[in-house]
Amino acid sequence: MEPTRSSGAGSGNSGTYTPEIEESLRFEEEIQSLMRDNTMHPSLEPPPASGGGGGSSSFTALLGLPANQAVELLHQPDSDDSPAVAAAATSGRELWRFRLRDPKALTLPSGFSPTFPSNAALVERAARLSVFAAEDSPEAASVPSHSGDRFPKPKAEPADSDSQPICPIPGERPQRPAKRKEAEKGNKVKGAAKKTKSAEEGSAKGAEENTAGEKLPYVHVRARRGQATDSHSLAERARREKISARMKLLQELVPGCSKISGTALVLDEIINHVQSLQRQVELLSMRLAAVHPRIDFSGLDSFLSAECGRVSVGNGRGGGGMEQSAWTEATDESRRQPQQQIWHVDLVHPHQTPSVWERVDSPHLFVHPGTSLFGYDPANSVSLHSNQLKTEL
Amino acid sequence: MEKQDSNRSLSFIDTPTAANAGFLERGRRIKMAAEMGLVESSRGRHWSRALRSRLLRRKGNGACGCKEEGLAPCKVAEDLVGEDGDDEVIEIERRVRALQKLVPGGEDLAMDQLFEETADYIEALQGQVNVMRALAGLLDGLEKEKRLMGG
Repeated sequence: MEPTRSSGAGSGNSGTYTPEIEESLRFEEEIQSLMRDNTMHPSLEPPPASGGGGGSSSFTALLGLPANQAVELLHQPDSDDSPAVAAAATSGRELWRFRLRDPKALTLPSGFSPTFPSNAALVERAARLSVFAAEDSPEAASVPSHSGDRFPKPKAEPADSDSQPICPIPGERPQRPAKRKEAEKGNKVKGAAKKTKSAEEGSAKGAEENTAGEKLPYVHVRARRGQATDSHSLAERARREKISARMKLLQELVPGCSKISGTALVLDEIINHVQSLQRQVELLSMRLAAVHPRIDFSGLDSFLSAECGRVSVGNGRGGGGMEQSAWTEATDESRRQPQQQIWHVDLVHPHQTPSVWERVDSPHLFVHPGTSLFGYDPANSVSLHSNQLKTEL
Repeated sequence: MEKQDSNRSLSFIDTPTAANAGFLERGRRIKMAAEMGLVESSRGRHWSRALRSRLLRRKGNGACGCKEEGLAPCKVAEDLVGEDGDDEVIEIERRVRALQKLVPGGEDLAMDQLFEETADYIEALQGQVNVMRALAGLLDGLEKEKRLMGG
């Protein structure tokens, strides 16, 4: 009742006839045979590796299988198929049979020819597999509901009413599965929309779902519905997502920014924050300059030469007690100016008195001396990376 | 120099008098020291290198040993708002350019890198502000005690 196995479906191929097409046609035929003799079992747990597709009676069962097994099953010699495999649902069978019987008469709304260029064939298969792999049970439920006469819009009804036959971009579809990022949310609507599209465009390729779940070795990007799917826009979309990820990070950094929606406002907040921080630095530096209008430290020389470690004075004791610690990053140029010090504020113990030296007449503010001058225990201090104020002059 | 690293300035900096000249000069030096601290704390960053070269350039290029980074053309904000309307793109572009001016070395960066650098710069700035504030507080305390002790 079906076209012959040999080149029945292949006879319509007039264009490029590549091995991929051949293979897919072979899949078609196998599926055909399966559908012909079997009933559809929406939920099947077939013994996977049984011969000739074993307990995996229907293509929906195949959908539930991992890809390799499904492919394996279909590659089994057909002789075992018919008796062992359960029968598909009648209507589904009809549907498939109808499709498979008349691939040439398949008039897609887009006028999509069954003789695809090779990559389109591959692509359709991959498209199918992405669709079918994601949703096996809904499809299993939906397929039986179709009858053959509803062929032109085979899946117009099922769960998704909004999936119209969107075939205006058949050209783009072939390229879509080129990348599929699993991170893309593929919700049912999208999947259903694609299902519709693929069903219409590639319905002659009944074998598409054979490769359901089979992961091609490259990354697939699930195109959102209505979005362009060529490689440029995909890359652009990836870039855009990277940028929005960074934006989110910035939003978390800036206090009060997470509530704000809208890129421009968020950017405003970020800019304000940066400006305010810079202004604070300036104000604080002025304040520091004001605190010591005249810097004079009597015990400086002796202190420096003493090479003492941390002298921790009791809280609030000023005068001679000085405690400082040095950053261990040495710069040679600083040795010229023994009077300058780098002071390292230990934020863990804010009440310890630090010491700051500055010679008014010297052009330098703080220069790092040799590291040997101060013993410093890095473990004791808060290792904030901006814990030091120093300059190299 | 007052304007080079900040879009806004404290007004009294602009009008140095004899009385506050020393104070202003010291303030500037402290600010430069603070910025150098920023640089040293986040050494590998693009903004850190840019800030460093800016500071060293201001001091006279003796210590500079760095390579001059050619100014790349400003990368625009089209990445972010590829799907939005034109007005929004313009608005966002304006802000992105403002941000580029704020972050040292920002003009060379495209949007994604710019945001990354901005995040790091904000963190470093925040840390720097904390340090300086703590230091100022400590010094104030020290000063007060010195005064109390008749020092």
